[in-house]
Amino acid sequence: MVAAAKPVHELSAWERFRKDVVRDKWLYLLLLPGIVFLLIFRYIPIFGNVIAFMDYNPYDMGASTWVGFKHFADLLTRPQFLQVFGNTLYISILKMVCGFPVPIILALMMNEMKNLKFKKVSQTLLYLPNFISWVVLSGLIMNMLDPDTGVVTSIINSIAGEKIQVLTDTRYFVPMLVVTDIYKGAGWGTIIYFAALSGIDPQLYEAAEIDGARKWKQLLHITLPSITPTIVIMLILTCNNIVNAGFDQIFMLYSALVYSVADIIDTYVYRIGIKNADYSFSTAAGLFKSVIAFVMILIVNTVAKKTGNEGIW
Amino acid sequence: MAHTNKIKTSTGEKIFTVFNYTFITVLCLIMLYPFWHVVMQSFSSMEETLKGGAFLYPKGFNLDTYRSVFNNPQVYTGFATSVMVTIVGTVLGTLLTAMTAYPLSKSRLRGGKVLMVIVLITMIFSAGMIPSFLLIQELGLLDNRLALILPALVSAYNCIIMKNFFLSIPESLEESARIDGANDIRIFFSIIVPLSKATIATIALFMAVAYWNDYFSTVLYIRSSEKWALQAVLRNMLTNTQQAMAQAGVNVVSTSNTNSETIKAGTIVISTVPILVVYPFVQKYFVTGVMIGGVKG
Repeated sequence: MVAAAKPVHELSAWERFRKDVVRDKWLYLLLLPGIVFLLIFRYIPIFGNVIAFMDYNPYDMGASTWVGFKHFADLLTRPQFLQVFGNTLYISILKMVCGFPVPIILALMMNEMKNLKFKKVSQTLLYLPNFISWVVLSGLIMNMLDPDTGVVTSIINSIAGEKIQVLTDTRYFVPMLVVTDIYKGAGWGTIIYFAALSGIDPQLYEAAEIDGARKWKQLLHITLPSITPTIVIMLILTCNNIVNAGFDQIFMLYSALVYSVADIIDTYVYRIGIKNADYSFSTAAGLFKSVIAFVMILIVNTVAKKTGNEGIW
Repeated sequence: MAHTNKIKTSTGEKIFTVFNYTFITVLCLIMLYPFWHVVMQSFSSMEETLKGGAFLYPKGFNLDTYRSVFNNPQVYTGFATSVMVTIVGTVLGTLLTAMTAYPLSKSRLRGGKVLMVIVLITMIFSAGMIPSFLLIQELGLLDNRLALILPALVSAYNCIIMKNFFLSIPESLEESARIDGANDIRIFFSIIVPLSKATIATIALFMAVAYWNDYFSTVLYIRSSEKWALQAVLRNMLTNTQQAMAQAGVNVVSTSNTNSETIKAGTIVISTVPILVVYPFVQKYFVTGVMIGGVKG
């Protein structure tokens, strides 16, 4: 009776909802394993971050005590962590500034190639390093930069006129990271610009040629403006990585000799957390990073949308 | 006037074209050289590798390196583990991703928006290394090869790519099957999956590369060296050559024509060969991959 007294449209909404859920039961069933997976392997660790606010006892969770922001205060007053944080920002920003223009220039150059076979082969070769693991690449890099037998070392030494040990010298380690990062990623980075370049209407170029515009003018007035939206969105998205200086790469190549310039948040968390089993403190360091990354991605997405681009979601 | 202009332009363009082709060629050679170098080194003799320098061809050609590398039992267990992890992870992961993405592409699904947010959050907030490690420990998966597969099975990013593709499939294709009495699961497997082959292949490709190249999961989760993935075995041989040589049965003072440099080179080669073999065949999917990912790459 009470139900009958309710407004008809409200009642039917609930009924509609139930009917819809029953109708789509197979869809929910399809969705179930994936959602359960995410809840276990993504959400439990997210909540697991609470140990950053505890003195976590790995042998007896009950013996862990709440300590509030103690580890964060510790973190931000430890000179070592501040250096690690500074290194992270410095390396990632340097990689962005030096690495960002490279794929654009490469794509523009290769776009001018009329020989399609040559273009295809060179694309294939330039994409390749992206698919090779940092373990293998670090092996190649160590081989090339070996102080005694390395090919690149001998070239550098003859230019510098002194014996330079790139991998253990704090002056050269970070530039080496930047160069090898470009080596791995720049070729692959061109693919997004090729997609943008192939979308340009060829009639624009034909019209420009009739008007007597040279290649250089065409580049400035047609090509660049056409791919500017892509450049902008890529630039915005790159900012996401400000706290990701490249864990795999650095982990494979660094050593205690270059910690002062190369130790980043991730490598620090690994050494303190996994090696020394200082779980709470290292989780605090990791959470600090995750929160910055989270804020960055929110900012980046808002900026992308405000500038008329598609956001990440 | 117009005539001279045209000639001037083409001269400048010719110079540019020559420069352009030369530059890209040199760049490609630089890209390729390190790979070429280690392949040649792996076929070279010990004395020559100790001298160093460029290896444009094998110096003192011999196969001793590969005899030693394939003598190392860890290379086989590493290979087996990596092949198993890559195949199981890719097949299961792609299937799960598609199964998760398909319902989310249906606007009629009640609660779909909330579920989408649940998926999205995992992309924008990363849990961090230590809590993930502790979870695997709690689940009792430490030193279990499942720990190399499970954590990377479904990613929000791949789900979104899949979902965006499913959105482009016209609803009418499903309608006729529905009239014939097929339920959503049947429609998914018999209509949607076959239509999405290219997208699924692209996601499978990138998952497979990620699994094959994964090194850090082994470092975090696996203790026993016979369960290590190939990348970890390789890393160990690169950094711990004495031990690696001992495992390979190389007596350091023996007359065998290998040394740490050639062993390293040989191991790099054999762990890269599978990627190089598959690489040309999967290339056609790169462009599809970028297109469906849109600018969200």
